[in-house]
Amino acid sequence: MITLLTEPEKDNLPIKSAELSKIGKKYRVAKAINPVSEDFWALKDISFNIYKGRIFGIIGRNGAGKTTLLNIIAGTLSPTEGDIRLNSRVRGLFNLGVGFQDELTGRENIFLNGAILGAAKKEIESRLNAIIEFSEIVNFIDMPMGSYSQGMRLRLGFSIVTNLDFDVLIIDEILAVGDALFQNKCYEMLVDLKKRSKTLIITSQDLSMIERLCDEALLIDHGRILFQGKPKEAIGKYRALLNTEKFFVGLPPRKPINLIEDTKKWADNTSDWGNKFGTKEASIESVKFINKHGVEANEINTMDSLRVKVSFSVKGEVKNPHFGVAIFRDDGVYCYGPNTGFDNRLISKLKQGKGYFFLDYQSLLLAPGKYRVSIAIWDRDEALAYDHHYGYYKLTITGYDNKQRELLCMPVKTDAGMASKIIRFLTCKRKKIDVGRHLLTNKSGKIYDSAYAKITYARLLDANGNGKNIFMTNERAEFSIGLDRKEPVGKGLYLWLGIYRDDGIYCQGVTTLLNNGEDYSILFPKFLLLPGQYLGSVGIWDSLNENFLLYHHGIYPFKMVSDKQDHGTVYMKHEWKWGTE
Amino acid sequence: MEELSIKLNLIRELALKDLKIRYSRPVLGFFWVFLTPILTVAIFYIIFGLVLNVKAAGVPFILYLMSGVFPWVFFQDSVFRSISSLVDNKNLIRDANFPHYLIPVSIVVSNAIIFLPPLLIVVFSSLFVLKGLPVFIILLPVVLIIHFIVTLLLSITFSMLYVKWRDLKYVIEAAFLLLFYLTPVFYSISMIKSSFPGILYKAYIYNPFVGLLILYRIALLKGFLGTIRGYTGFFVIALQLVIFIMLILMITVYVYRKNKGIINDYLAY
Repeated sequence: MITLLTEPEKDNLPIKSAELSKIGKKYRVAKAINPVSEDFWALKDISFNIYKGRIFGIIGRNGAGKTTLLNIIAGTLSPTEGDIRLNSRVRGLFNLGVGFQDELTGRENIFLNGAILGAAKKEIESRLNAIIEFSEIVNFIDMPMGSYSQGMRLRLGFSIVTNLDFDVLIIDEILAVGDALFQNKCYEMLVDLKKRSKTLIITSQDLSMIERLCDEALLIDHGRILFQGKPKEAIGKYRALLNTEKFFVGLPPRKPINLIEDTKKWADNTSDWGNKFGTKEASIESVKFINKHGVEANEINTMDSLRVKVSFSVKGEVKNPHFGVAIFRDDGVYCYGPNTGFDNRLISKLKQGKGYFFLDYQSLLLAPGKYRVSIAIWDRDEALAYDHHYGYYKLTITGYDNKQRELLCMPVKTDAGMASKIIRFLTCKRKKIDVGRHLLTNKSGKIYDSAYAKITYARLLDANGNGKNIFMTNERAEFSIGLDRKEPVGKGLYLWLGIYRDDGIYCQGVTTLLNNGEDYSILFPKFLLLPGQYLGSVGIWDSLNENFLLYHHGIYPFKMVSDKQDHGTVYMKHEWKWGTE
Repeated sequence: MEELSIKLNLIRELALKDLKIRYSRPVLGFFWVFLTPILTVAIFYIIFGLVLNVKAAGVPFILYLMSGVFPWVFFQDSVFRSISSLVDNKNLIRDANFPHYLIPVSIVVSNAIIFLPPLLIVVFSSLFVLKGLPVFIILLPVVLIIHFIVTLLLSITFSMLYVKWRDLKYVIEAAFLLLFYLTPVFYSISMIKSSFPGILYKAYIYNPFVGLLILYRIALLKGFLGTIRGYTGFFVIALQLVIFIMLILMITVYVYRKNKGIINDYLAY
């Protein structure tokens, strides 16, 4: 993965400002965290040159080692191994306004801060006016710093460091704060410094700024160089990395005892869809959706089986890959995203050549609508994608007219109370009663009762009939609802149960015709929601007048937990298969 | 040369900051520089001079007390404030690249500055009470420089060691309490000589801080040299101080060299 340095042009050989070769930084992990102290390499095998008069950007995720690297270049930390050669006066700036004292005035702080940054008194005196002018706090410069706003401190700090003389300036998380106007001014200042052939080394999470400003960029992750070269390419690789990480944020070692209480991700940013990222050591050649008849199709009936067939080719050899398939609704709602890592299916290596893998779903528990599918082949740590087709494939699920934009179609039984003895098993294929959900907009947490009837209770019961509100994914769950009616049943009245995620996404609605019974039961033999917080709503829908007679909207919270890491909203039973072609 | 001026500038700015922060906000301001030592001496005088009736041979007890307490306060304050100085200023050290020792140095410098006014009080009191100053007043700058160097070296060493070994602060505080009683700040050496056997007395008198205090008094108090002759020789004191300074200089250089590369790693947490 290490890309060779961009060689300087021969006719106009640039001067090196800093040379780093095989830099490594080792820390001993504290014993309090880990009973056995371990070595942790914050940086390893870092070699690169920085040339005079260039702006050099370092990007990477939090904890990738950026700040440690900057500290080593600035000399505040010494490397455990490797050599660093500096050919110039380096001025580090990890926090704007280092050592600012509230008790001292702005002017006094300029002298103090300048001294800390290593300037002689004469130099500070000669630049004093320029510093004050740039910082735009002329009127307050003799006031104690304690009275300054955060923005004023920042302006003064930036003004001091850029107005003093230096050859190399190092700025960590540059311009992370400050208003747009000041940022623009700083940006101009940095460009001006570059023109005066100063060397700048910066880090930022503002990728567009890195792209605009830098001549060269370095991407590091887990203390290693992933890429060095043109900022645009580095940013592309970083985005790929970030996107892979979005799915697998800090995946902890699997501990079977610990229950997982959150899916890591419930929604996705659709603006990145349709992109392909990855290093292409393994690349996805084709993706096919195969319906229950074994025929390729882009439309699948709800609750039918689905096979996702992915063909790929491998250059060289890829060790410990993971396969992943994720389904999103077209608005970014994350439905389900299993991967072989979560499922503990280990693939030791992929050899050069062509291969395929299948993901077989027994039953697609998704409501009709338009969906997007991401396909990915990850490296061992799920840190970097070999190939990731991001929201790339369109899949339509058919079945009924899903006016309500339900997300799920979990099998459910309703039992309309003692009086009727009618037990119905609902599937998503039958015609749905469309409840006017739009009437409940912004009514979450509200109760509206009518003179006609009252909901006496609504609770969740487990398999033993005990009430509780934390369920394991795949456990039996029964909503038990009691009604107290003062008048006989009218026509076209339905009891409605709506299940929402706590971010407001409507998961599934269940309706059952009201009869003379007083106790209603809505039973999910397998409650397949993935970990997270959910809300239940109960109401009576008058289908003739198209109105709610009463509702208790979003006031029955419950929680799902699981012993298994997963992403999305619903667990769908699946199997992986793979082989070579 | 430029390096040196940059370092001096930083020391000056840091010491100035320290003084401004300590004395700009209190109502009495810089007046406290005089008030604190006078109050300290007053308390000592009441307890030891009036209540316990301690006497010093040859000179008034109040002068004897002042010439001991002021240097001691400078010494103790400097060391105590320096010990945790690297840890207290870790963001400064980690964010800007300058030698670590400049921070304890700036603290000792700022304490030395506020040591000067009380020192002047002793000089003038001695001048009026004893009707003249000893010839050895010309030695005072030398004594001050020796004391300054000793304080500086110990402050640097302790501050470096404290980063790795945070128990040091409590150990030093206890050691200073002991040292305070082992140094003739508020009692006269004759009391020790008369009540301690020869070998213990030798160990006591070779304590460099005892020697240092004797030097202060020889320089400040007229007629003190005559009194001290019975206890120890002037050149013995000078020699033991030279040896002591060489020793702690070597320790300081060793500790500093050994730790300066890795100290920032320890400062991170």
